[in-house]
Amino acid sequence: MSMLHKPDRLDDRAFDQLIEESQDLHTDAMTVARTTMPDLADLASDRRRNAGAADPELVQQFEQARSSLGRKIAMALGGIFGAGVISSAFAKTASAADGDIDVMQLQTAVSLELLAVATYGAALTLPFIANGNPVIVKFAQTTMSQHDQHRQAFSAQTKALGGTDQTATNPKYTPIVEAAKPTLAAPIDVVKLAMTLEQVATETYLADLNRYTDVTSRVLMASVMGVECQHLATLRAVGALLDGGAPELIAIPLGADVAKLPAAAGSVAFPDAFEGITMASPPEEGAVK
Amino acid sequence: MNEPRELPTLTRRHILAGAAAIGAGLVVAACGSDSNNVSGSTKGTTGTTPTSGSIAPAATDATGSTTVGTDAAVTTAAANAGVDVKVAQLAAGLEVLAVGTYKAALDAAGAGSLGDVPAAVAEFVTVAMAQHQAQLDKWNGVLTAAGGDAVTEPNATLKPTVDAAFGKVTDVTGAATLALMLEEIAAATYLSAQKVLTDKDAIMLAGSIQIIDAQHAAILRYVLGEYPVPDVFAKVDLAAA
Repeated sequence: MSMLHKPDRLDDRAFDQLIEESQDLHTDAMTVARTTMPDLADLASDRRRNAGAADPELVQQFEQARSSLGRKIAMALGGIFGAGVISSAFAKTASAADGDIDVMQLQTAVSLELLAVATYGAALTLPFIANGNPVIVKFAQTTMSQHDQHRQAFSAQTKALGGTDQTATNPKYTPIVEAAKPTLAAPIDVVKLAMTLEQVATETYLADLNRYTDVTSRVLMASVMGVECQHLATLRAVGALLDGGAPELIAIPLGADVAKLPAAAGSVAFPDAFEGITMASPPEEGAVK
Repeated sequence: MNEPRELPTLTRRHILAGAAAIGAGLVVAACGSDSNNVSGSTKGTTGTTPTSGSIAPAATDATGSTTVGTDAAVTTAAANAGVDVKVAQLAAGLEVLAVGTYKAALDAAGAGSLGDVPAAVAEFVTVAMAQHQAQLDKWNGVLTAAGGDAVTEPNATLKPTVDAAFGKVTDVTGAATLALMLEEIAAATYLSAQKVLTDKDAIMLAGSIQIIDAQHAAILRYVLGEYPVPDVFAKVDLAAA
């Protein structure tokens, strides 16, 4: 705390070093992920072969969630003839695995990640962001990259389970983002929009955890959840500093200015002892139709 | 607060070694939990690694209606329940350690041992301690609801090194660095637990707490002059061997 730094300035060298370390970690993670892909593919084959042995509770939840008549017919036929018939019948639009709740959750996750990437990308084109606080710029760039890597991981896992890769942004929140874009007039507006997306992602991934039948998918989702929630925490802190009229305290490293942080900055990022799921998207929301 | 963080006596390596032992315990618990874990009370052994033979009341109930070894499904269910109880005990022991460490930091700050304490840091410690207490209460609720004993002792594997390190802390930076390591260990342990947990409520509770602890870590990094979200994926290396 003894080092003084100019407010509103980013230590680019130190920051870049941190990013480089993060990228190294990601490279390591992807190396591990690649080694597990053959196993995941085997698992997908097993799941397709054993489609008739699905958890009855999950099947019931699935049936309640799906409104498409075609899907209902497919499920009914699936119970009679097995998944092979169904996968052939619907091969043009989706694979049989797309009815699997694990796959649906992964597809919805991809849809949220795609929207996050697009939203941060759009934010970076706004003059008051692009030419504004360098920490916010770096955060938007880094977070966009991290979301894209989450999307890649979820897409890979979707395909490993035999599902169809989701390529569209989330259908519920895309219109909300599009409606908000013209109203974005200051950094705080962008921060609040991003907070919404990060909270939806965090709570969706939390709500998904105990519905997974595939442990690898569950751990992957928990791993990404552990990062989205930190995006959210950072945005809450940044938003509080912007709302409080102290943008100069949005700096890395903060140095001696940590003493100037308002007390609320120490707790605004985590308002509750437990995360809720009130904003969670249901499994089918972003599933491939 | 911008120097690379490393405490005088509690290096990252020390913490990693302790956490690795815990992680190894989780793996052993997952692989080795069986009907043999039906004796003894957790009292007096709480906060130890999950390999310590502790009762899994749910397992006892599940196996009580049949002969162990003759019904594979029931035996598996009992083993799973045993793993969940061990994870709950491990989690509660970590939460006791976190609460105790934050309490010690508050006491030290009150005594002036840490120098000037920024208002935001004081607020962080107060709120984080209360949240860890709430999390501890929740895990203990799970344990007592299953017929077991509440955990009241800190994790025995980590406590000696944390205590030794805390004894060397002389300022806010040192205290924040120690807190960050504890939060990282907790978040990583909860993530790692997702590999072995079977109870749906326990899965959700672990995930919910993982989020809060990861957020504690993000803010501590910011205070320490580090980027708050350095990893693309949350890691388990602090929890798993």
